[in-house]
Amino acid sequence: MAKKISGPQMVIANRLDDGRVVFLTSSGDWSARAADAAVADDDVSVDALRSVASASEAANRVLSVEVIEADVHNGVPHPAHMKFAMQAKGPSVRADLGYQVSPDWER
Amino acid sequence: MVLINLTGITTEAWTHLEDDMMPGADTRVAAPLARLTEEAEGFFAAVEAVGAVVSTDADYRSLAPLANKLSFVVIDFPAFGDGRGFSLAVRLRKDLGFTGEIRATGPVIPDQAIHLMRSGFDTVEVEDKREAAFKAALKRYSVFYQSDYTGRTALTHARHAVQERRPEQQRKAS
Amino acid sequence: MYAYDDYDHALVNARVAEFRDQVNRRLSGELTEEEFRPLRLMNGVYLQLHAYMLRVAVPYGTLSADQLRKLAHIARKYDKGYGHFTTRQNIQFNWPKLVDVPDILDELADVEMHAIQTSGNCIRNVTTDQFAGAAADEVADPRPYAELIRQWSTFHPEFTFLPRKFKIAITGAGADRAAVKWHDIGLVLKKNDAGEIGFAVIVGGGMGRTPVIGKTIRDFLPEADLLSYLEAILRVYNEQGRRDNKYKARIKILVDALGAEEYARLTEEEWQAIRHHPVDVPAEEVARIHAFFKAPPLPVLSDDVPTVDAFAEKNFLFAAWLKNNVSAHKVPGHVNITISLKPHGGIPGDASHSQMDLVAALADRYSQGEVRVSHEQNLILPHVAKKDLPAIWADLDEAGLGTANAGLLTDVIACPGLDYCALANARSIPLAQSISARFDDIKRLMDIGPLKIKISGCINSCGHHHAGHIGILGVDRKGEESYQLLLGGSGAEDASKAAILGPGFDEAGIVDAVEKVVAVYLGEREDGEEFLSTYRRLGPDIFKEAVYGTH
Repeated sequence: MAKKISGPQMVIANRLDDGRVVFLTSSGDWSARAADAAVADDDVSVDALRSVASASEAANRVLSVEVIEADVHNGVPHPAHMKFAMQAKGPSVRADLGYQVSPDWER
Repeated sequence: MVLINLTGITTEAWTHLEDDMMPGADTRVAAPLARLTEEAEGFFAAVEAVGAVVSTDADYRSLAPLANKLSFVVIDFPAFGDGRGFSLAVRLRKDLGFTGEIRATGPVIPDQAIHLMRSGFDTVEVEDKREAAFKAALKRYSVFYQSDYTGRTALTHARHAVQERRPEQQRKAS
Repeated sequence: MYAYDDYDHALVNARVAEFRDQVNRRLSGELTEEEFRPLRLMNGVYLQLHAYMLRVAVPYGTLSADQLRKLAHIARKYDKGYGHFTTRQNIQFNWPKLVDVPDILDELADVEMHAIQTSGNCIRNVTTDQFAGAAADEVADPRPYAELIRQWSTFHPEFTFLPRKFKIAITGAGADRAAVKWHDIGLVLKKNDAGEIGFAVIVGGGMGRTPVIGKTIRDFLPEADLLSYLEAILRVYNEQGRRDNKYKARIKILVDALGAEEYARLTEEEWQAIRHHPVDVPAEEVARIHAFFKAPPLPVLSDDVPTVDAFAEKNFLFAAWLKNNVSAHKVPGHVNITISLKPHGGIPGDASHSQMDLVAALADRYSQGEVRVSHEQNLILPHVAKKDLPAIWADLDEAGLGTANAGLLTDVIACPGLDYCALANARSIPLAQSISARFDDIKRLMDIGPLKIKISGCINSCGHHHAGHIGILGVDRKGEESYQLLLGGSGAEDASKAAILGPGFDEAGIVDAVEKVVAVYLGEREDGEEFLSTYRRLGPDIFKEAVYGTH
């Protein structure tokens, strides 16, 4: 059920083993940094990202895969919708938690 | 597919009657409830055993007129989350007094094995790859709070029926 | 408190082993997410926005000090140092790793706790009055019945895959502190003319997108018949509840479609058929469970404690806390304390690991080792000697737990909202924070009096906005958070549905609107009249005029 693509898109998911939010990169890997996300802006490249993500989901690496709209400023993507922007950062009421602290805040 | 026997019932193979196909003599056949409801006495007399196939949405009362003619009932789950199948089995046992085999088919999952057994199912048909998981699930629990259709005593009763054997339980509680 | 016997331990340990196996099968790919999801939900594991969330059951809101210490330990070891107490008297951890959850469940089992059936389409944690067994206005202690229901509903073979989730609440007091009319089944303990204990049975209440207040289908159910009657209600629901549309799958929709009288008839018919079967437990078992809930042996003391009065005279905040957060106990000279988890500007219902440890220590010292969780997301110390109040308050206050706002406007119920929840459309917590910051004045709050604000971040209504004197519902309006204002709801014995007042607001706007509503009340109230009564007397128009200035 392909939706007509309007504007740049990126892929968000949660890692299966710990649930943490990740973004699909152009190398087909997953990054905690929204800025690392691969951006697609036409149907063909969105489908390509989607199939890489689905394969990763089928391989039990991630779950809850979604293709979402991206805001791109100076070549750096960020989720456009507030819900996904929240996922990229962490709870707005706990600035001390989540990727808003740092992409490796847990290590 | 492989058959998991939940209760140790003796079960034999049967044939599913497609459409208007007529059974051969002395065979064991399963057919949709709707068809069986239409069939005359002769049909039941001709074969060795008849079973009804129903979906989880069947009203148990529609099985009542046939209950004493049926050797087995197959409850087909359209989805594993469709819990009506459990109540249907309970109704067959409790309200219709059905003592024949009750079989579950459809996408039920190993984690439901004990619920199926406790609700009155005897057997469940599963994909081959699920066999080990189903068998493991059956071994997982040995006590239950509720009474059920396995003949086990509910914990709430067992706690008080076994005082001689378990004096430490009694002391703790009083 | 109930204490596990070997059987209870065996069941919970088997469940932990089962879940460990399920997690392993999921990680190996043997289970798909579609298959695993209902299994993890039935162990309280959700996937939220940032991580998994684990909801641990606090059966009927009762905790021992040791259990609370274990929760603090889990917050420290496996989470980010805090937990969130919910409107169903449970606790949620927001950051557990899926791979750690079996270990967490193992640790919980050590203190007789679990996460069984805290989510999923099954019978959930039974909730009750946070003052159960300690309240001065109680007919009977609801906890033994709640424990009976807990056992009956745990791994029920027939009712684990219901059309939708199923929530039961029970109250033993005339004042309903458990919102029983808003539950799938509400039970009200009462005595009949012969002085026998039984229940009024209410079915079909619920919030969500279709708020419904439950209807009474039986005025008096003898206590011995409780479980067979519940089984009959559930069987009718499991067979006939809708499964084609999850928004129409709750029992409230079925009760509405059949009519309460027909639902009562079907239940009665089935109940007569199964009554006196083994589903009802033997009297010895009822007695065994009751024995765990014997009232603690408290000495009768004087209600006049000059040292407390003297301390209150010198210290306004203590005096306010005494008035708002301390309530009557059955035994003279004793009280129940509500520990507010609503510090002004804070996150409603959150407690840090050190706060949990402190409350556990206070419970050991002052409240018979018992702690309760209220559906209003606060903690309770029951059975406290009045003379100990100044010392307890000082310790609480130092830890940020001394806010004197129980039952007042800033004692806000709020769901986690878009800060955590994958279903939310808008944030709830920042709104609760803005409101409590705006009204950060205990004198002003006490002048306003009892006023319940309840905030949900989406139509699922986890923040009970339908039952708020002032309810707030967050919605997503073209990618922006927007908030609707509702007035006139109640979750108490006079249950009512709140009604939407008018168009929505942004965050700053809704806080202003709340202030305007309060101003109308203060201007219009009659002597001693509480907010809800004033609203019911005046109706919405005068509030609408003040908020929207339609003229």
